[in-house]
Formats: sequence, C-alpha cells, structure tokens
Amino acid sequence: MTAGITTSELLRLFDTSLTDAPRLVSLFGRKQDDHKYLHYILDLPDVGYREFAYLVEGVVPSATRVSPAAAWHERELHEEFGVEFTDHPGLLPLRRHSPERRETPQPNEVRSPRLRHGEFLQVQGTGVCEVPVGPVHAGIIEPGHFRFSVIGDSVLHLQLRLFYTHKGTEKLFEGSLANEALPIAESVSGDNCFAHAIAYCMALEKVFGVHVPQRTDAVRLIGLELERLWSHVVDFGALCGDVGFSVPAAYCARIKEDLLQASTRFSGTRYWRAIAVPGGVTFDPTPSAVQDLSRAVGDAAADFAVLARMALETPSVQDRFETAGILSPKVAKDFAVVGPAARASGIKKDVRIDHPYGGYGNFQLDVPCYECGDVMARARVRVDEAMSSARLIVEQLASFPAGEVRPPVSMSGSGEGFAAVEAPRGELLYWLKVNEGRIARCHVRSPSFQNWQALPFAVAGNIIADFPLINKSFNLSYSGCDR
Amino acid sequence: MISDIARRSFGVPSRLIPVEELSGSSAGSRMPEIRPERLTVEIAERVAAVCPTTALKLESHGDRLNLMLDYGECIGCGRCIAVGEGAVMAANRLQCCGGSREQLICSWDVRTGTEQVRAGSPERIRAEIFSWVGRALNIRQLDSGSCNGCEAEIVALTNPYYDLERFGIHFVASPKHADMLLVTGPVTRNMAEAVKKTYEATPHPKLVVAVGACGCGGGIFAASPEVVGGVSSVLPVDGYIPGCPPTPAMLVSGILEVMRRLTGTRRR
Repeated sequence: MTAGITTSELLRLFDTSLTDAPRLVSLFGRKQDDHKYLHYILDLPDVGYREFAYLVEGVVPSATRVSPAAAWHERELHEEFGVEFTDHPGLLPLRRHSPERRETPQPNEVRSPRLRHGEFLQVQGTGVCEVPVGPVHAGIIEPGHFRFSVIGDSVLHLQLRLFYTHKGTEKLFEGSLANEALPIAESVSGDNCFAHAIAYCMALEKVFGVHVPQRTDAVRLIGLELERLWSHVVDFGALCGDVGFSVPAAYCARIKEDLLQASTRFSGTRYWRAIAVPGGVTFDPTPSAVQDLSRAVGDAAADFAVLARMALETPSVQDRFETAGILSPKVAKDFAVVGPAARASGIKKDVRIDHPYGGYGNFQLDVPCYECGDVMARARVRVDEAMSSARLIVEQLASFPAGEVRPPVSMSGSGEGFAAVEAPRGELLYWLKVNEGRIARCHVRSPSFQNWQALPFAVAGNIIADFPLINKSFNLSYSGCDR
Repeated sequence: MISDIARRSFGVPSRLIPVEELSGSSAGSRMPEIRPERLTVEIAERVAAVCPTTALKLESHGDRLNLMLDYGECIGCGRCIAVGEGAVMAANRLQCCGGSREQLICSWDVRTGTEQVRAGSPERIRAEIFSWVGRALNIRQLDSGSCNGCEAEIVALTNPYYDLERFGIHFVASPKHADMLLVTGPVTRNMAEAVKKTYEATPHPKLVVAVGACGCGGGIFAASPEVVGGVSSVLPVDGYIPGCPPTPAMLVSGILEVMRRLTGTRRR
C-alpha cells in the first residue's frame, strides 16, 4: 500500500513551481487499528491518477508550502484526525467555528502566528473598513460568511468562513451497506446529485471490479451531460441577472425548467435522483422517450445559443463581465483549481478527456479554454460547454446501444478504490474503502472544496459591488465543500 | 299631530339586535341556498334558465356538470326558489361576504351533489394573503444546512412556469421584510445560532414552514452528530412541505395550503 518514496520526496514531486508538476487532487486521512494513514492522490502528467498512502508516524511535513492546494486538506486532517504538520502557515480548524465546538481541545490552541481559532484577520490602516456578510445571504442560496476588508469600494482582503452546512456526511457513510449509501452521496451537493451518485457508483465498481454495460454508460452519460447543460444555462442566466439584465435570466430559467420537465418525461425524475445504482441504472428508456428528449435538448440548445450570443454582445454586459474577478493562471495552478474556473484561466483540464470514463471514450469532445480568467471567460466557458453537452446528448441519443441496463451485481467482500467524474463544477472524486460489503471510509473531494480556496484571490482588488457577480461566476457549492 | 308621533315612539322601547343574530343573517333577502343532496340535472337546468342575471349557471367540465352560484350577481328575485323543488331554498343564514370577488362564487357537482372546492385562483389567493398580512406575502428563504436540492427547486418558483409573484408572493432579501421563513435542510450545529437569529429578526406575525425531508425531520442526516435535527428542533414550525426535494408544484401548493389553513378563510 505504501509507495516506495518518502513523504518529503513525494512533496517535492508536486512542487507547483516546477513546470511539469503533478496536480494535487486530494489529500485525506483514515484510521485503522489505532493507526492513522494519509492518502495523497495526484494527477501525474502522462501517467494519470496515482495514489500514495502513508502511515502517520509523528509529525508530517506540510505540503502547503510547495502546493497551496493542500492548505485546507491539511487543516481538515489536523482538525479531524489530530495529524500534526510542520511548517503549515495556519492549522486553524475549518469545520468548527469556535473553540467551544471543539470535540477534543488541543493543548496548543494557537496554531497560527496571526490568528486564533474563530478570529478573522484584521487589516489595519487609515480608511480600512470591515464588511461582514452572511452566513444568511440575500438570495435563495446556501449559507457562508464573507469578511471583507475594504478601502473605499475596493476589496483589500477577503476571508471566508464556510462549513456552515457541515453535516458530518463522510462519517454518515461509514457502516452503511455499500449499495444503500447512495442517497447520502446524492445529498452531498443536491443540484449536482447525479454526478455525485455516478462518482460514488464508479468508485464502488472499481472496488468490486464490476463491468458496466454499454447501454448503462449511455444513460449515465446523458444524465451527466443534462446536469451540466442545465447547470451552465442557469448559471449563465444568473450572471446576467447579477448585472441587472433580467430578460436572459428569465429565459435561462425557462430553458432549465424545459430541460427538467423533459428529463421527468425521460427518466421519471427532475434531478435524476435514485437513477444510478452500482453497476447500472434503474430505468431503461423507450425509443419514444429517446426521441422526445432529443427534441427537447435540441430546442433548448437552439434557444440558448441565440440568447447567449445576444447577451454577450450587449455592451453593458461586456462592461461588467470583462476584467472582473481575474483568476490568474498562477493562482489557479497553485490551488489546483478545477472545472470551468480552471478552463477560464488557461488550464485545459477535463476528466472526460484526461481520464475518460463510462461512454466518453466513444465521442469527440470539444473542451473550451480561455486565458483571461475573468467573469467573461468563465461565462464563455459555460456557454461553450453547454452547447457541447447538448451536442453530446443528441449524438448519444442517436446511437443508443442495445442491451441491458441493470445486470445483477454482487457487492460482498472488501477493497478500496476511487473514481473521478467531471461534474458541472469540475473534477469530483470519491474514494471508498469497503469492509465486508460495508463502507469503512468514504472521502468526497468536491470541485468546490478546491476552488473556494482560490476565490479570495480573484476578488481582491475588485470593487465590493462586483463580489456577487464574481462569486456567481465561480458558482461554488457550499454543501459540496462543507459536506 | 307631531307630538302624537313622538309620544307613540317613546312609548315603544327600541330593541337593538344582538351582534350574534346579525352575523350571517340573510333572512328576508331571498338569497338562495342550495341543498346539493336534492339537486338533479333537471332542477339545475331549470333554475339556471329562470335566473335573470347570470348568478346561476351551468358549466360542464368533461363529463362533470357544475352548478355555479355567484352571490355577487344575485338580485334576490326568488325565481330559482320558486322552481327549485326544495333544492334551492331561501337562505336565512348565509356567510356570503368575501374579501375578494372570487369568494362570492360557489360551485356544486350536479350529479354527485358535492361542493367543489376550487383550486385558488391568483386573485382569490392574493385576497386571502392580503386579509392576513395586509399586503403581499413576503418569504425569506433560509438554508439551515441543506444540500442545495431544495434551493434549486425554490429558485424555480420564480421562473416563468410557476411564477409565484402572480399570487402576491415575493421572495425578499432580509428577514426584516419577511412574513414567512421557508426553511430548508437539517439544522446543522454551525447554523443553529444563525437560524435562531434570523427568526428573531423577523417581525410578527410570522410563519415558519419547514421544507424537504431534511427540514421536516432531519432526513438522512438526522443521525449525524453535526446536525441538531429538523427545523422544529430550533424553531416553532407552522407548516411542513415534504419531498426530497419537493417539486416546484409541491412547493406552490404547500405554501398556499399553509396560508389557507392559517388564515382560516377557506370555504367549507
């Protein structure tokens, strides 16, 4: 299980200052028989995903100094597993906001040279004001706290306090029968529930070496791409809404609803809950349902294409979108940012291309990539990807493989494995350890967990009134990050 | 002569009718009252034919035949009572005033004799809401730890298909502007305090509606030590809308149902 290199050698491996450095995908802990293990999952250029597992003995060298992407992972490890890291810039707890909430008080409470547990960094100087926002926000959105330090309208510093929706989800998996824990996976991030369900199923299929029929792969691909399509459509509408352009916002909401209703006719559910099962899917579409969905997706894509072009050619939209919230390629790489946000900052990574899974190997995929890293780039990525998803769905529906969709699957026994899918927000990874058919440990690395860390860097220097727009252009999941 | 009248008036003590007798009394108005159990198709056709206004009329919905009675158009001519053969009687007690024009309309299925409780029309619901809060119903959505599934469906309520605004229902940005808190998700330990503060910031009168399986009772997260429980574990809850997530249609009818029950203006 342990790789043949030491942790410090491993850390040197993904030093982001090197051009060909691997990307940190996830870092998490696991307890077994009074021993703690650290698991590093890296994405190595030309090699693919590699997992390295280490037995924790004493203090562990922190990876944060070489790859800031590890910062929150190590804070979580310190908080949940009591792992000590040398040279971490601030091992403050993430999930529990005040010291009273701590399960086991640590002897050495001050973990950061500047901050105590529950404190915010204070920016000092003439004219600097603090603006606290949240956790309850003004829209119909999830809770989280933002502490802005501003001078005039300009944001000097943004500190996040998330994990308000922390529900102990990873722990809830533990002890459940592997095929009965699906509803938990579907409730990690409810608006991307199908991507979570598929990532969970794929991890289980890896553990037990389950073969998935072609027809099942086709149904899954349609579900995943539909989820991406309506997510991007509604995100684009919300971006227009955030600059006061409510006509495209209303149209996008309509297109999404059309797609949800079409999906209800196709699969019986709006958001594809309870469709994925390990080794299969729970419904087999009829030829007429296939035709109906193909028409609905075609119509939605045609409407969206016209709408998006109209919106992006509107000068007031261009004025607000362009140069707002720039995420530099350097920051994006340092924080191992994934998904549309990465592709808008020049990092052309997409799990569907880099690590093909399911039915994706059968199709030619266009992955958009922009360099500017501003709100406009993220909007354009979403528009392009929505169009490409619609094309993919129509192509898949036109060449629907025959066969069964839910063969019997045996899931007794033990093992471990992981799988990643490209969720609408980016790379989503599930790591599972199963003991005698029951989940012993489940780690979920949602794309938002990675991307939230980079958001403050895109916000600094912008005016505070642009924050909602910038935040929306990342469209990060709170529940997916907080779990 | 004038003094005679005065003497006679003062001699008879005047009698003030008590409020209880006034309330609902329609004696002498010849306003009709339908006895649905005696209603037949022939009688319904006859009474509709004799009505000089269109207060009484027949409407067919598929294979159903409904007799509609709009008290707002009735002039109390009594013709329907005369030809109604006991199925239409003069009403002595009738609560036929309404906060809206819509509330003056009743309807019965002629064949089964059952009164049709109509799904609220936008005007009627708006009137009911208005009678309760004196203005549009303002809802503040509060996520107490949800997975974002319920939020996605609540956002859909504002799309052109469901358009909650037509009922006079708005989503507002602050609990200080709200009449109703629509609370989703299990209440996490990290959100419990913010949930209570949001409730405190909401002015009276206020309603709390728990949404989704998690809001109703903690859902699949009920067993987690990081979760306090359903919404009712921290706030007094006035209504529950189940579902994981509830569809927009379930949310619309759930919100309206909670309003109807609480305003008490639902007709029998």
